[in-house]
Amino acid sequence: MAFNRIELRNFRNLEDGAVNTGASSIFLVGENGQGKSNFLDALYTLSYGSSFRGGQDAEAARLGEGSWALEGQSYDPEEGLGGPRAGLFSVRWENGLKTIRENGKAVSDRKRLVENNPSVIFCHDDMEFARGEPERRRFFFDQTAGLVSAGYIDLLRSYRRTLKARNAALKDRMISVLEVLDLQLASYGTALRKERALVVAFFDEIFAPRYEAVSLLGRRIGVQYKPSWKPDEDDDAVVARLAAARERELAMGTTMSGPHRDRYSFVDEHGDFSLRASTGQLRLLALTLRIAQAEHYSAMSGREPVLLLDDVLLELDPDKRRRFMDNLPKGEQSFFTFLPGEPYGDYRAADTLVYWTDHGRFTHT
Amino acid sequence: MRALEDLVALFARLPGIGKKSAARIAFHLLKADGQYAALLAERIAGLKDRVRFCSQCGAYTEEDPCPVCSSPARDHSLMCVVEQPQDVLTLEASHEYHGLYHVLGALISPLDGIGPDALRLDKLLERVARLGVSEVVLATNPTVEGDTTALYVKKVLEGSGARVTRLATGIPVGGDLEYADRLTLARSFRGRTRL
Ligand SMILES: [Zn+2]
Repeated sequence: MAFNRIELRNFRNLEDGAVNTGASSIFLVGENGQGKSNFLDALYTLSYGSSFRGGQDAEAARLGEGSWALEGQSYDPEEGLGGPRAGLFSVRWENGLKTIRENGKAVSDRKRLVENNPSVIFCHDDMEFARGEPERRRFFFDQTAGLVSAGYIDLLRSYRRTLKARNAALKDRMISVLEVLDLQLASYGTALRKERALVVAFFDEIFAPRYEAVSLLGRRIGVQYKPSWKPDEDDDAVVARLAAARERELAMGTTMSGPHRDRYSFVDEHGDFSLRASTGQLRLLALTLRIAQAEHYSAMSGREPVLLLDDVLLELDPDKRRRFMDNLPKGEQSFFTFLPGEPYGDYRAADTLVYWTDHGRFTHT
Repeated sequence: MRALEDLVALFARLPGIGKKSAARIAFHLLKADGQYAALLAERIAGLKDRVRFCSQCGAYTEEDPCPVCSSPARDHSLMCVVEQPQDVLTLEASHEYHGLYHVLGALISPLDGIGPDALRLDKLLERVARLGVSEVVLATNPTVEGDTTALYVKKVLEGSGARVTRLATGIPVGGDLEYADRLTLARSFRGRTRL
């Protein structure tokens, strides 16, 4: 879906009011700190229900304000604004509560937003996926899977809830309950491991050729999934493993194996590539992960996501910049942020909307 | 007007009642004849005295044991295990079930500090043995906590001789059943699976 209009109230440093976004690409040009990234965050929040920077909902309120609200009119560009899939989505935070609405009706689950307004963000923090923090990589691949499967989101939630309950039971030494929670953790966990393995196998096929095309490294860099429970351990084997670790886990008060400890790595024939890669290679790797995430979404769903690109061209040399743009998949709509000195005119299409961004205000140029 | 404001504030604490509805109810009572208000007050005051928990199944009742537990027409070899007393009312409203009930009173939830001791499990075991129950149907909702509880109850019942099955879907919230809910429940009872 594409956004035709975004309405803002009390959101970060952005001016209250509506911004017309009815174009296939929108460029936000301005100095740092003027609100370009905050606008992308508004779009991201209308996709996922929360900020791409993480943090509390309260932090998104303009200084001194106790509430904020976003509204997005979204539509399928092929159908136009009057199409059957067009809709009005809003995310509102007040009195410490966040409410999501679709065409005025309250939506109880953020899954609905992702389903309707899928987006892929390219931003500086993506470097964390490349550098190798395991938790960040799990986040990335969970997001990739969740974009195309609401069932995956349900499975992940059930696993996490069981994990929390199990950790609480370990701390309270509820031994008889642990025996039951082991069964549940094994059941959700092995299902999750299977899904993750499938996603990575498919993702790797998309990612590896793209990374080669962008980096011209001359060898294949692939994605490897290393589950905490071995691939051949079935539910019974996992239950036995958990029972065997009981004393240690009771002492630690936490669950020490399972999908929350899964790892992903980027490998060539010599092993872990990200340990040896240069900063430039890692930056390209992070960008290519997002390219592949967008392509994975399109391949699985038959639709295109909205692309949000936050200052990503700035740190690339002209050759890499061109190769990145050549490999960028088509989004149903793309939002770019640029500094005034960048040659954004080169990337402009006939219907591109260019906004000058200054003190949270967007002026059409 | 203190009396009116106090009453509005009390009504507004009821589930599903906002400030506006609370005020509307209070004004309605003010206009209605005195007998109605008196009857309402008396019924509310007597509610907790008249409605108790059945000493057997744990459901809400005015007589102990409750009409279900003491009815010879019910199938005493079949026992449906639910979380809350109001679940019994919901299942009764569906007219799809003709066995006995057992209310646990809570679900196992280590996150909330609720362990098996908080559930009426000893009474369940005692009833299953005494009544010679041949099948126990677990009707806890299909959430993580509902599953934990169902698996735990199954473990507790091992060796009791009773077959343990699980309802495919949970019980709809509230005693007011839609036609669709009744249909789902009927299907759920027929399609209960062995745990
Ligand atoms: Zn009873």
